[in-house]
Amino acid sequence: MKRLLMNKFVIGLFCTLLALPAMAQEDELKGLAGYVDFGDLSATYGEPKITINLGGTMLNFVSMMSSSESPETSEMISKLKGIRVQIYALDENTGAALDQFSETKSSLKSSGWEPIVQVNEDDEQVLVYMKMANGNMEGMTVMVVDEEEAVFVNVIGQLNPAELAQVMDKFDVDVDLDMD
Amino acid sequence: MNEYDEKREELINALMDGELSATDAQRLKAEASDDRELARAIIEAYQLQQEMDAIEVERAPNSLRKRLRAIPREHRRAPVFSFLQPRWAMALAAIPLFVIAVSLLQPDTPSASEVAQARLEMAIAFAYLDKAGVITGREIESRVGHTMADAVTGSVNRAIKSQNLNSKEKEA
Repeated sequence: MKRLLMNKFVIGLFCTLLALPAMAQEDELKGLAGYVDFGDLSATYGEPKITINLGGTMLNFVSMMSSSESPETSEMISKLKGIRVQIYALDENTGAALDQFSETKSSLKSSGWEPIVQVNEDDEQVLVYMKMANGNMEGMTVMVVDEEEAVFVNVIGQLNPAELAQVMDKFDVDVDLDMD
Repeated sequence: MNEYDEKREELINALMDGELSATDAQRLKAEASDDRELARAIIEAYQLQQEMDAIEVERAPNSLRKRLRAIPREHRRAPVFSFLQPRWAMALAAIPLFVIAVSLLQPDTPSASEVAQARLEMAIAFAYLDKAGVITGREIESRVGHTMADAVTGSVNRAIKSQNLNSKEKEA
């Protein structure tokens, strides 16, 4: 009996230690002040059509690679610690997405986030929240729910929205979005 | 065997085992001098005891004795390799710790394609931020426009009503 318990303990310890690196990567962004938990809507809408998780390490490399092309862009990216995007196709079934929208909104309010802009239309809900600490931005959250899709964006770190357009021009990446 | 015989046998056995007191032993021997059956039974019991004592205990062969003596030592000897031994458990636990430490000390360098993919993902994220900005900007413009219109029309109406009141007061 004692030997069996010892065996289980050794195997459990071994598996836990092997899983540690993956857990550390997952927790890299979760531990940051600007992180927002958007929950999981895959049970209702299936896997997200777009999932983006960029951590600080990758952003540092992007910043370094951009430095020769545009020092301003490189400077802006270097202030970011993480970027997360989850986009679900709703196909006019907005119920669960709007529930998650409200739940996240309540969570943001209770954890010190400040509302910047909110649009409440029958066919469109938009919310922009920002978290500040000692005059510095720690994170920004944007949620958009319309009949077509639910968009959850979480930028961790400092971002000046005024610089966004400039950065988009520098990236020269064609992103086709429905703006109707 | 009757009750008398049983009692007599018990006494003889006790005499052979030396469990009888000196008095009882003397009494039994006195009875045996008058009772030939009892005397014969006591003699047979003595003879049997002597024969039993004469039997020697046979010694085990040396090879068997060596093997038997080795058994406790073999039980004491720890197995050469076992994951259950603390030192092996600690060694196994140290392997992933070493891997983690090495991976932390040497951050993964992404390939050029991975960085390009990250740039694209970042552009998508920013495009959605931009989209939200456009929607909210449009909404603000729309709301502010309506408010301004309401403010203007409201003040005009109030001015008209005020002038009507003044003219009615003058007429009165």
